Amino acid sequence: MGKKSAIKKITGSREALLALILIVMIVLVGIINPAFLTPKQFSNMLKNNAVCLVMSLGMLCVMLVGGIDISIMSTLAFSGMAIGVLIKGGYISNTLLIFLIAMLIGLGCGLLVGFVISRADVPPIIATMGFQYIFRALGYLISDGGDWVSAAELGNFKNFGTSRFLGLNCVIWIIIFCYIVFFIFMKWFPLGRKIYAVGSNPEAAEVSGINVKNIKLMVYTIMGVLAGLGGAINVAVYASAMPNMQKGGEMDVIAACVIGGVSMSGGRGSVVGALLGALILALIAKALPLIPFFDQLWLNTIKGIIILVVVVLNVILQRMADRNALKGREM
Amino acid sequence: MAGKSGRSINNVPENPVKKALLSWEGILIVLFAAVNIFCIWFSEYYNISSVLRQMPVYLAEVFLMLAMAFILVLGEIDISVGSIVCLSATLTCMMSNTGAPFVIVVLTALVVGTICGMVNGLILTQFPELPPMIVTLATQIIFRGIAEIVLGSGGSISVKNTAGFKAIAGKIGTDIKVPYILFLVLILGVIFAVILGKSTFGRKVYAIGTNRVTAHYSGIHVQKIRFIIYTVMGTMSGLCALFMISSSYGANTTTGENFEMDAIAMAVFGGISSMGGKGNLAGGLISAFIITCLRIGLGQKNVYAQVILLIIGVLLICAVALPNIVQQIQKALSVKKKA
Amino acid sequence: MNKKMVSALLCGAMVLSMAAPAAYAEEDGVKIALVAKLAGDAFFEVAAESFVEAAEAEGASVEVVYPEEATADAQIKVLDNLISQDFDVICISANDENALQAKLEEAMDEGIQVVSFDSAVNADSREVFVNQAGTTQVAQALMDAVYDICDGEGQWAILSATSQATNQNAWIAAMQEIMESDEKYADLELVEIAYGDDEAQKSTDQTEALITNYPDLKCICAPTTVGIAAAAKYLQDNECSCKLTGLGLPSEMLEYTGDGDEYSCPYFYLWDMEGLGALSAYTCIAIADGTITGAEGETFTAGDLGEFEIVAASDGGTEIILGDPMEFNPENVAEWAEIF
Repeated sequence: MGKKSAIKKITGSREALLALILIVMIVLVGIINPAFLTPKQFSNMLKNNAVCLVMSLGMLCVMLVGGIDISIMSTLAFSGMAIGVLIKGGYISNTLLIFLIAMLIGLGCGLLVGFVISRADVPPIIATMGFQYIFRALGYLISDGGDWVSAAELGNFKNFGTSRFLGLNCVIWIIIFCYIVFFIFMKWFPLGRKIYAVGSNPEAAEVSGINVKNIKLMVYTIMGVLAGLGGAINVAVYASAMPNMQKGGEMDVIAACVIGGVSMSGGRGSVVGALLGALILALIAKALPLIPFFDQLWLNTIKGIIILVVVVLNVILQRMADRNALKGREM
Repeated sequence: MAGKSGRSINNVPENPVKKALLSWEGILIVLFAAVNIFCIWFSEYYNISSVLRQMPVYLAEVFLMLAMAFILVLGEIDISVGSIVCLSATLTCMMSNTGAPFVIVVLTALVVGTICGMVNGLILTQFPELPPMIVTLATQIIFRGIAEIVLGSGGSISVKNTAGFKAIAGKIGTDIKVPYILFLVLILGVIFAVILGKSTFGRKVYAIGTNRVTAHYSGIHVQKIRFIIYTVMGTMSGLCALFMISSSYGANTTTGENFEMDAIAMAVFGGISSMGGKGNLAGGLISAFIITCLRIGLGQKNVYAQVILLIIGVLLICAVALPNIVQQIQKALSVKKKA
Repeated sequence: MNKKMVSALLCGAMVLSMAAPAAYAEEDGVKIALVAKLAGDAFFEVAAESFVEAAEAEGASVEVVYPEEATADAQIKVLDNLISQDFDVICISANDENALQAKLEEAMDEGIQVVSFDSAVNADSREVFVNQAGTTQVAQALMDAVYDICDGEGQWAILSATSQATNQNAWIAAMQEIMESDEKYADLELVEIAYGDDEAQKSTDQTEALITNYPDLKCICAPTTVGIAAAAKYLQDNECSCKLTGLGLPSEMLEYTGDGDEYSCPYFYLWDMEGLGALSAYTCIAIADGTITGAEGETFTAGDLGEFEIVAASDGGTEIILGDPMEFNPENVAEWAEIF
């Protein structure tokens, strides 16, 4: 009886298991390389992975309704490049305004993607694959064939990446703010619950009066806004804007969500899970160069294996849980 | 995704599926002609011999499309194929550099590809709950990762003995030189199309794609068929790798990058639904040639590469969205008429 | 059915409207195609601009072509397109040394001359390589900078681009050779070669790892533009005692270059990108009109750049060397940042 409840506890709370894995990993890396365990290292790690952390929230929403979005890094490049060009031309300099414009561009992109998916019934993978090409190309075109915007041309905006508020880097505050907002939104707001409803059973949601199409439109718009925000963060953190920035990064965001227990078929996943998934990925990228006996060339292979192990483990645990549940019924 | 169609309340029975398909291929043929007329008008260098000469690089990706069509009809997706091409090309180059006879080299490419495909298939059939997108995302990273490790610092390898690869990149004919690969693509295309469209195996694939659960209960070995298809996908990736080497005499860590997307784009543009159960290879093949001709034509006038991708992106979305929109309008009109 | 036809026509119309033919002028002069590594390389743009200027002044016409990605595969497609057109010379900055050989040989068979610049293709697939600065000169300059910054002893590290980057690998190999061959550098210890893949995020991670793993690190040498900018930003933001040098763009590095402790980079190098573009243009024209054939020992006059001689390159081919790398220090960096 005791054994069963222990298993149940672990499988019941994937988040706890993930947190445990994360802590074990941190301790292991800390033992191998004690220099890792300083607040500065952690704050740098968060800052350097801010884009993935923030955007996995949007991907969480998209995946909750059973969708996927692989156009996000193109949206990021488009919005980042757009604000870069605007700053370079001297049109805007106010930091808040820059963030707003980036998010507005993201909003526009997200709306477009959402419309095509929800109204024209294009499968998400196909629609976003098309938009991946389109937005990236727009990023190149507005930058006049791909001119970089360098640190010097970014004026005051680049200071945002280094400025602090209450002892913490501003970029980290953005991450914290996003996670708190989404945690509350997904848990207690009716709209947030509707996302779950649509994801777990679209037909039932439809029948119970939820406008499924609008919810789908909404999640892709949220994703777009976050991608726009990611664009501004990316420009601020690295103090430069290039049209090919974060190319291929969408797979990291998807992987973060998957590791965090978000189901691809929709309806399952949580904000905490997405956070832990993104942190685990961030930790791997950060820690691997710190561990002496790993060649850096192994980074990708290890990342892939971890994703595979996590998803397979998840299935096995789920099967065990199901079997236990059945056993209970038999008795 | 595929499993859900079974639960749909407003499940429209396949009314004019066959008719719609026929007309979509009709459109594709018209479009193929239109694209060619456009290219001839657009580029003064666009003629049969220049197209045939430029074709092989694009045709290598058609191999991937042939097998990808089966996976899409299943209602699944494989995004690891680009990485399989990379790993297979890398190991093939190494085998070639050991001085092995060319037959062995060819076999290496196919066997490595097949093994990678089997790995995908094995994981996916052992854990059928797992979405193929995630599993192949992981193997995508792993296969390319292994290639990176094998290539080590330096990151690229070139073959010393290019004779064999030159031979397979050869051409037939005197005035108009037709590359061998075109024949191979067409032959394999016909074989795959017949298997998908006419054989029992093909019908089973459609059955699984339309409703996996029903297919299972009607006695189809769902997992066996999935395993075979993912394995064949791997073999075709190996074949693609072989022709990639024949155009670059080597491999590097970026070989085959984004090929999966190109292959999926070709198939989807050809009317094969990524939701499963719909489409056929004739459409896929025609669309492959449309995209190839368009890219060659635009490329010959040095149109900015990103603009070409933008056009393909728009075409892709339109190809899927427009029929849906038209259908919706038709439905709305018929409702009005009834009222 | 009719509606479907309409939709198909719409698709077709969109293609037509979006790809309006580029203005095309028949010209008699030499036709040169300049092939980039990728679109959006600030580095290349400067060279391309002066290339076009110099070539057009000589009556040649230039088409600058970009592959869709920074890969050899994408460049092969570009070369295929170029062979179909009637170019006289292809001037290419290669993404992979060997992978383009098949296509470039095909181009030569069609009577197109091949010159490479910035990043070489192998000796068999080119007439001549226009080298921005001799590999050993670059390595020597970087080695001396490292020696200077470290005060002659201590730990240093390299932050490179990708592991298969042709240029970077050549420079790193030459630096290691110099370090081993000269007693002067005996007290310098190269602790690690890290790869940032020319991505800002990964370069930052790698820089941080270097600083964490080797607290006594005195100098990082980053012979790549993305890497040096990312490392400079990290070191400066974190007020590290470790300093930086390498190859970078003045406009990207303007913020980080200075003498004081608050700056992360005392000085860095690059070559005259404008000069490289112009020299490549003159080389292409000279090779097209038969002034040179790309054989060792030939000389030709490159406009106002002066006389250049073709010399043997270490890979068995021939090359033309533009000159020594240029140093950018706090005095001149602002001035050059205006240009590139």
